[in-house]
Amino acid sequence: MVMNIFYTVLQDFGLAAVPAVGFAMIFNVPKEALKYCAVAGAIGHALRFSLYQIGPLPIEWSTLIAACVVSVIGIYWAQKWRAHPKVFTVAAIIPMIPGVNAFTALLAMVDLERKGFSQELLKTAIDNGLRAFFIIAALAVGLAMPGLLFYRRKPVV
Amino acid sequence: MSTGNVPWIKDDQREVTRVCAQTGVMLLQHSAESALAESMARRLGLALGMDAVEIALMANGITVSTIQAGRCHTTVRRNLDRGINMHVVTEVQRTILQVEENKLDLAGVARRLDAIKPSRYPRWLVSVMAGLSCAAFARLGSLAAGSEANIGTFVLTFVASGVAMQVRQWLALLHFNPLVNFTAAAFVATSIAAQGVICPWVDRPKVAMSACVLLFVPGFPLINAVSDMVKGYINTGISRGVMAVLLLLACCCGIVLAMTVWNAWTWL
Repeated sequence: MVMNIFYTVLQDFGLAAVPAVGFAMIFNVPKEALKYCAVAGAIGHALRFSLYQIGPLPIEWSTLIAACVVSVIGIYWAQKWRAHPKVFTVAAIIPMIPGVNAFTALLAMVDLERKGFSQELLKTAIDNGLRAFFIIAALAVGLAMPGLLFYRRKPVV
Repeated sequence: MSTGNVPWIKDDQREVTRVCAQTGVMLLQHSAESALAESMARRLGLALGMDAVEIALMANGITVSTIQAGRCHTTVRRNLDRGINMHVVTEVQRTILQVEENKLDLAGVARRLDAIKPSRYPRWLVSVMAGLSCAAFARLGSLAAGSEANIGTFVLTFVASGVAMQVRQWLALLHFNPLVNFTAAAFVATSIAAQGVICPWVDRPKVAMSACVLLFVPGFPLINAVSDMVKGYINTGISRGVMAVLLLLACCCGIVLAMTVWNAWTWL
């Protein structure tokens, strides 16, 4: 049982590195920084996965904690590598972006227009839209957290 | 009064104002967050000997004033979106760090900034990686839901999003409006994934349908929008957020169009 959970988290770790690198290439992150994006993306997603799937936390709070951790790692590398932390961290949190929720909310709204009002569709739209909004807010606030708490009057790099 | 140089402003202050504005605009154009653009332009001006540098950011422009010995020089630059490019952001930032370490002078900064060319990865490589990313998203989604899907689902996702990314890059090369671009590419992605619904050789076509459009989620603008607003840049934050939601809606149009054409309403 424990091995099974460990294997699932490990699989999550490996899989999350792929979109982190893929999106880092879409954002034209310099070649030397791609490995940082991969590692930070994998750590963030696997941490969130363990916090809300195995641990007791809701997904929004797990996302906030994971984004904070990614941001701290990003600041450490940014100071070593002399670049803004967002260069690594945004690509690293892309695997956590609630894309399916966002699209489901919008498509439910389209369906509301197409089929007419129904409670079920409205529920789908609001549930998914709110979830997407809160997760994105948690990601951005989590990334900003070291700046808000420790780097208040001084720049990171 | 002459229409040439205003005599009471020294030429090097004028030049400093220009490089400050250029720094700010280059960072904003390549999707750096507003706090970074403002602090970099200010630090560059201070490092080049100004007493103060004041910057006002707007949704599509930047105003820079430098003050030295009580004299003030102001300039405005228009900001045209050039797409996300972290390579440019890194290079601009390193140039300014060099100025702060006294390794570059004013002429050197202007030369370095002009020499920065946005580097891009080969288009085929980006498409392959985008396809792999969406296939990984499909697997991550079924991992979180605790369900299984066969290899066909992932291959279909890979092909759909890889081809869609190629279309998106090709349309961007032809300078189409991003909204048109996203609609067309989302249509292509969903059309390919919908073949899994029509010919049932894939066991979970719904997973492929939802995963193949995930490369169109404007993650960078969404994150930038929220972090701008958290740091007090409400107007740039709102404009970035609205653009991100419009891009999502454009994708949504493409998806609905494709589902209508193929009559494959599997999303909800």
